[in-house]
Amino acid sequence: MRQALRGAWPAVALFGVAALVPVLVRDAFFLDLLILVLLWGATAAAWNVAGGYAGQVSLGHSVFFGLGAYSAALLGTKWNVSPWIALLVGAALATVMGFAIGFLSNRLRGPYFVLATIACSQVFLIAGSRWRGFTSGSEGIAVPFRPGFWTLGFVDKRVWVYLILALAVGVYLIQLYLERSRRGYQLAAVREDEDASLSLGVPARRLKVAAIAVSAAVTAICGTLWAQYVGFVDPFYVFSVDLSVRFALAAVTGGIGTALGPFLGAALITVLETYLRAHFGGIGAGLVGIYLIFYGVALILIMRFAPQGLVPVLGRWWRRPAAAS
Amino acid sequence: MSLLAVSGVTKRFGGVIANREISFEVAPGELVGIIGPNGSGKSTLFEIISGFYHPDAGEVSLDGRRLTGLSPDRVCRLGIARTFQKLRPFAGMSVLDNVMVGALTRTRDVRHARERARVLLERVGLGDKVLAHARTLSTGQRKRLELARALATEPRVLLLDEVTGGVDQRSIPGLVELVRELHRDGLTLLVIEHNMRVITAVAQRIIALFLGEKIADGAPDAVTRDRRVVEAYLGPAYHQ
Repeated sequence: MRQALRGAWPAVALFGVAALVPVLVRDAFFLDLLILVLLWGATAAAWNVAGGYAGQVSLGHSVFFGLGAYSAALLGTKWNVSPWIALLVGAALATVMGFAIGFLSNRLRGPYFVLATIACSQVFLIAGSRWRGFTSGSEGIAVPFRPGFWTLGFVDKRVWVYLILALAVGVYLIQLYLERSRRGYQLAAVREDEDASLSLGVPARRLKVAAIAVSAAVTAICGTLWAQYVGFVDPFYVFSVDLSVRFALAAVTGGIGTALGPFLGAALITVLETYLRAHFGGIGAGLVGIYLIFYGVALILIMRFAPQGLVPVLGRWWRRPAAAS
Repeated sequence: MSLLAVSGVTKRFGGVIANREISFEVAPGELVGIIGPNGSGKSTLFEIISGFYHPDAGEVSLDGRRLTGLSPDRVCRLGIARTFQKLRPFAGMSVLDNVMVGALTRTRDVRHARERARVLLERVGLGDKVLAHARTLSTGQRKRLELARALATEPRVLLLDEVTGGVDQRSIPGLVELVRELHRDGLTLLVIEHNMRVITAVAQRIIALFLGEKIADGAPDAVTRDRRVVEAYLGPAYHQ
């Protein structure tokens, strides 16, 4: 156990603090922020499984998120199915899509793969917004709220904190597995040089496809829980390129290919966005939308001073005093 | 009884014939050198044996098992490892991790793979570089790293593409000695080499290629004196 958690104590500490928050804080705004930080962190970590660990940078992950979200919304409203079932259905659909996109990654590399994933999410965006009879089109769908565990309806935000925290820890552990297991080493080799990895007996193609499929399934689970929490799904949000970029951005600012990075990145971006919107973005503020300028500047500064993401920078800070003593 | 058999292998790239009906066999424990001027099809032949290219005709088999048509990772798992002419270390990984990737093809246990990798790095003379980043190594050290990585997959036949190419003069004897040791320990090797002095010193047998065809196959001193080989390298005028 100690061996398994070696080097993971910062994550243990952060998740531990997150677990304590609901005991100490009752403020709904703060709990809401914490839930979103954990949820976007989990989604960015799911993206990181493909984009970071397998080196398959996708800007179409909103497809998987949207499949999860629409599973909850459609199964709930049309057939009165439990969100827990919807969660599995969404994950299964996303896995199938993940395999499809994964096979694409064996044909297309680098920027061409990225473009293909964007195109894929556009197809879903169009389908979601035009297939009115099934998806209600661009009006979106309100996800029914029915109190209870089986129906995933919780008034108490503290329950949501623990639910999303469990998800976040789960995705973190998947990443930890990818750092330390045989498959993790092999995937790192594929990311570094696919041909060299093949020459050493690594089944590169199968591993890439598997990583993308797992990433897709977990992203869909995040989508289902998000839809259940927020209570509303519309195609222009859940299938947007913006959303895909958000996943990637959180992972990149936090530290791509690191287990904790996506969570730190998501925390930074979500807090920054929420704070800036609250201060500069409200109706009545002189300059509506100016928060986006601050937001952009902040991101540029992060990329300027922490081009590898936050994790390496924080790691250096931590070690410096230790080395001096 | 041959271990590796190449029979009638032909490979075309558009109008260019890179390999034309090349056939030979390699016995267990043999060290066979492959020579030939630039563009004679040596590297193409290696790509075909290791499964990276599929031949247009002919086939390669290892111990009677047909390899042609299999993916490179399958070919490796069946017992053929290779190094690359243009070195391809996993630059962002440590030297140890590089070799572990090879070892993990034969064991599922990460700890066991780490031990194996350490032993192999010691053997190729990189014991003090275990934790260094692969990108910090010199060319000679990278050659040793590629060798260790390939050995970690426990090959039955090892293909070496230009062991001494691009390496400074002082590092060459050490690398040559390493190849000799591997051979002495019973490994079967197929070695592409430009440096004639090196190849005639280590190989028991040399195959010469020219313009995609096999033009000679035999003992080193016989092959290097062969009229067609000399002509291939220097042109007809130089042959007395």
